[in-house]
Amino acid sequence: MPVRVALLTEGGYPYVQGEVAGWCDRLLRGLHSHEFEVYALSRSRRQEQAGRVPLPGNVVGVREAGLWDASGRGTEAAAMPYGRRVRRWFRAEFGALADAVCRPVVELREGAGQSGRAAPVEDRFSRALHGLAALAAEHGGLSAALRSEDALHALESACRRAGAPRVVQSAQVPDLLAVAARLERALRPLSLDWYGACGTAGLAAADLVHAVGAGPAVLPGLLAKRNLGTPLLLTEYGVRLREHFLHGAGDPGVLAVAGARAPVRAVLAAFQQLLVREAYRTADLITPGNAHTRRWQERCGAPAERLRTVHPGMDASPYAELGEAADVRPGQAVLTWVGRLAPAKDVVTLLHALVRVRERVPGARLRIVADHGSDAGYAAHCRAVAAGLFPDEAPGASGEGRNPVSFEGALPGPGCRAARLASRADAFAGEGPVVLSSVVEGFPVPLVEAMFCARATVATDVGAVCEVVGGTGLVVPPRNPAALADACASLLLDPQRRARLGAAARARALELFTVEQNVEAFRGIYLELISRRSGGPPRARAARPFAVTAETHLCAYGEEGQGNAPPQVPTWARGGRAASPVPVGTVRAARRGGGRG
Amino acid sequence: MRPHGEPERGAAGLAASSADARQQSAAYERRRSEEGRLRRTSGWEEGAEPPVEGVELLADVGVSASGPRDGGEPRRRTPITAASPARQASDTRSADPVRRLLERHRALCERAVDPLEIAAGLEALGLTDRTAARFRHRDVFSLAEELFARAAHPDEPPAAAPGTRVPRVRALAEAAVPLLPALFCLLTVAALLLTADARRLPGPHPAGAVIAGAGAVAVLVALRIALRRVAPSKGALLACGWLLTYALFGDQALEEVLGGGPDLPPGPLAAPDPSVPLGLALAVAPAVWCARWFARAARRRLADSRNLGELASRVRPLVLLVVAVFAGSLFVVEAVTVLSLLPLPGYAHPPGEWAQAAAAALAVLLFLVLLLAVRGLHSAAVAGLGAAAAVELLCLGAVLAARVPSLAPVGRPVEVAVAAVGPPVVPLLACGGAALVLLVHAARALARASAHRCGAAP
Repeated sequence: MPVRVALLTEGGYPYVQGEVAGWCDRLLRGLHSHEFEVYALSRSRRQEQAGRVPLPGNVVGVREAGLWDASGRGTEAAAMPYGRRVRRWFRAEFGALADAVCRPVVELREGAGQSGRAAPVEDRFSRALHGLAALAAEHGGLSAALRSEDALHALESACRRAGAPRVVQSAQVPDLLAVAARLERALRPLSLDWYGACGTAGLAAADLVHAVGAGPAVLPGLLAKRNLGTPLLLTEYGVRLREHFLHGAGDPGVLAVAGARAPVRAVLAAFQQLLVREAYRTADLITPGNAHTRRWQERCGAPAERLRTVHPGMDASPYAELGEAADVRPGQAVLTWVGRLAPAKDVVTLLHALVRVRERVPGARLRIVADHGSDAGYAAHCRAVAAGLFPDEAPGASGEGRNPVSFEGALPGPGCRAARLASRADAFAGEGPVVLSSVVEGFPVPLVEAMFCARATVATDVGAVCEVVGGTGLVVPPRNPAALADACASLLLDPQRRARLGAAARARALELFTVEQNVEAFRGIYLELISRRSGGPPRARAARPFAVTAETHLCAYGEEGQGNAPPQVPTWARGGRAASPVPVGTVRAARRGGGRG
Repeated sequence: MRPHGEPERGAAGLAASSADARQQSAAYERRRSEEGRLRRTSGWEEGAEPPVEGVELLADVGVSASGPRDGGEPRRRTPITAASPARQASDTRSADPVRRLLERHRALCERAVDPLEIAAGLEALGLTDRTAARFRHRDVFSLAEELFARAAHPDEPPAAAPGTRVPRVRALAEAAVPLLPALFCLLTVAALLLTADARRLPGPHPAGAVIAGAGAVAVLVALRIALRRVAPSKGALLACGWLLTYALFGDQALEEVLGGGPDLPPGPLAAPDPSVPLGLALAVAPAVWCARWFARAARRRLADSRNLGELASRVRPLVLLVVAVFAGSLFVVEAVTVLSLLPLPGYAHPPGEWAQAAAAALAVLLFLVLLLAVRGLHSAAVAGLGAAAAVELLCLGAVLAARVPSLAPVGRPVEVAVAAVGPPVVPLLACGGAALVLLVHAARALARASAHRCGAAP
C-alpha cells in the first residue's frame, strides 16, 4: 500500500518556471511506489501561464492556488464580511498577529539557541495564526477581512504600541496599506479548501506533508500538523528568509516589496521570520540541502536534532563515460570554467587570475563554457576584458593567432560565434582543473558535474562549495585573483596531483550527490516520519516507538469500510505501560469526519 | 540592492553592452583602478589577501566547514600576522576593523531592518565566516549583529505621492474622453430634431427609431470608454438602466397611468424631452473630472497622513467638497444643454424646473455611485441605486394598485404630490433621497484608508 504524501510548493514544482522543480520531479519519479498529491501556490500569473511540467504517474492530483492578484482585483477595498461577534474574534486574532509582528527583533533572539522553547512572541504569533485559520475554516472570508479597515486599525495600533521598534513606529498610512496587502497574500493559504472540508479529502487524507520552503507554502502543513497530527517534513534548498532579504529589491516574491519603505520591510521581515521560526519549530524533520542552509536554519531557531542535511542529487549517468576514462585524457591541460555567465559568478576575477597563472605557466589557456540563461551584457563584458588582457597568440610566424581564453556553449547575444556543445558532458571533456570563481553560490552544480567527470577543481569558498568539494579540491577565498591563480597554477603544473584529486572527487560525488542517494534518503525519512506517527491525535500516541508500526497504519487503507481488523500490535508493545493504540481505521474515520477541528 | 563591489561592476558592464569592446575594456580598467584607489583610501587594499594567505587558506580547507562555525571561541589564527606590510600599515591605522567594514557597507547597514538582512547582504558580497573571523567574530551572523547595532538607522523620508507623469497629449486626450458621450448624444438629438419634420408625414418612419437606436448604442459605447476603469456589478447596471429609462420615459408613463391609461394597444412612444439625455450625457464629463481630482487629492492626503484617524478627518470634507463641486457644475451643464439645443429648429421649450431638479438628483446619485464603485465598494453602490429604482417602481405600482377599489388610499400620496409639483416629483424624491443617504455613507466609507488602496480613478 502506498504512502500518500502531500507535497506543498510555493512558486515551485509543477510549474515550468518553478524553483527546484527539477529536484521535485526527480524525487517524485524516484519514489514511484508512493502516491503524491501536489499542492502548488503560484507566485504570478506569468508562472501559471508558462505551463506545468509533465507529471509522473504517481501524482494523484494537483491543487493550485494563486498568491497573486489579477490586475485591478484584490486592490479594491473590501467590506467587512463578518457580523459583530466574528468581527470581534477577527480583530482579536489579527491584533495579536500584528502585535507579534511589530515587536523588536531582539525579542526573537531571546528564545534563540534554546531549541524547542519558544519565545513569548513566537507563542503569540503561533496562537494568532491558528486562530485566524480556525476563523477562516468556520466563517471563510478571511481575505476580505484582511483587506478591510479593521485590519488596518489593528496594524496601526500594533505599530504605535510602546515597545515597537522605532522604524515600525514611523509607519505611515501607505505603509500600513502595503503591509496589509502583503499579509493578505501570505495568509491566503489559511482560507483554501485544502483541509478536507466540503467532502474532499485534501490534506486530511495525507499520511505525510512534505513542504518545500518555509514560506507561505508551509502554512497548510502547519495546520495539518496541528489539527490532524500529520507529520510535517520541511525541505529547503535555499533559505527562504535569506532570499526574502536578498530579493527584497528585485524578485517579486510573495512578501518581498520592491522599493518599500523601511517600516514595511521591517514588519514583513518580522512576519517572515516568525513564520519561518514557527515552521522550524513545528516541523518533525527539516532537511536543508547543504551546510550553509543548515547554518541559517539553526540561526533561525531550527532545533539541531531535527535537522538532517540531504544533498540534492544529480543524474551521474551522462558523466559516467567521461569519469571512467579519466586516466586516458589526451591533450594539453587547460583551465575550464562552466556556468551561467552572470555578475555573481565573477568571471572577471578568474580572467585576472589567468594573467598571474600565465606568469608561472606560460601558454596556460582557459575555456569558458556558458550555460543557457547567461547574462548577455556580462558575457560581452567578459569577452571584452579577455580581449583586452590577452592578445591573440600564434604558434609561429605563419600560424593563425588564437586567444588563450575561448568562449563556448550557449553564449547569448548577437554576433557570438561560439562553438555549441553536443552534450552537457562535453563541457567537462579535456584535461586540467575546473575552476569556479563565484562570489555568491548556493549548491554549485557545475562543480558537482566536474567531480562526476573526475576533474580536479579549484573553487571559491562561498555557499556550499566547501562541503561539496570536501578534501577533493582546492578552495580559495572569493575575489582573490592571486590565491585563485596560485591554486590553478599549482594544479596545472602537477598532473599527478590533478589525477589524484580528480579520482577522489568522483568517488565523493558518486557517494554523496547522486539522485539515488537523494531519493533513498527521502524514502527513509518518509518511512521514519510515518512510523513515528501513531495514527491518532498526539494524546493517543503510543508510549513506545514503533508500538504502532508503519505497516499497520498503511494497511488501514485497504481495510477501511470492510470492518476494521484489529490493529497489529507487536507482542512486546502489549500490556505494561504502553497505552493501547487506538484502532487505526476508526481514528482515520474520525479525523476525516472531524475535518479541521 | 547591490551597492558595492563586483556585482556593481557587472551591472555597469551590462549597461555598456552594446559599446565597442575595446572601449569597454578601457573603461573597465579605469573603473577598476578607481575602485582600487577608493578601497585603498578607505583602508581596503585591492589585494587584501596576499598570496601567503591564499596558501594558508588552501591548507585549512578541511577545517573551514566545521572550524569557525561550531567552535565556541573566536578564531585566533587570523592571517593578520602573516600579512604583507601594506596590510599591517592599514591595521595600525585603525584598531577597529569593523568600523572600516561599516563605512564600506554603509548603505547596506543603514538600510537593513534586521541583522540577518546584513548577514545575507554580506554573504552575497562574498564575505564568509573566514572573513568574519578576521573581524574577531565567530561567524557572519555575529558580525552582522555588531554592524546592525553600530550602524545609524536614519529615518526614511516619507514616501512621495506616487505621481506618474503622462505625456501632455495623452493627458489632454484622457481629459477629453468623458466629453464623447455628450458629443454623440448631441449629434443624435440634432439628427432626430432635424428629421422630425420629414417624419411627420404620414406613413411608417423607421428612420427615427434607427437614428435613436444607433445614437443610444454610440452613447453607451462612449460611456464605456469614458468609464473603462470602473467594473460595475450586474445589479448596479440593472438598477442604473431602470433609473435612466425612468428619467427618459417615466414622467409620461406616470401621467398616463394617473390619467387612467395606458390605453390598449399602447400608442406610439412620445419622444422624451431631449434636454434630459443630453444633460445627463454632458454631466459625465464633470463627474469623471471630479472623480479624478478627488482620487488625486485623496492619494496626496494618504501619502502624508501619519495615521488613519488623521486621514479620515482630512478626506471626509473632501468627499463633501467634491460632491458640492459636482452639484455646482450641474448648473453649467444645464446652461450648456439649453444653449446647444436652442439653435435647433425642432426644439420647443426648455424643461421645467422640477424636471431639471430630478435630472440633477439622478446625476448626483450616479456620481456618488461612481465614486464608490471605482473603489470596489459595490454593495453600497448597488444598495443606493436599488433603493431609488425601487421607490420609482413602487410609486408606479401604487398608482396602479389604487385602481383596486379597496386599495384607493395607497395611491393618494403619489397623486397629491404629482398634483402639487408634477410628475418629476417621483424621481426627484427617489434619487434625491438615495443620494443623500449615499452621501452620508460615502463620507464615512471614502474616508477610510482601505478605500484608497490603489488610488482608483475612472
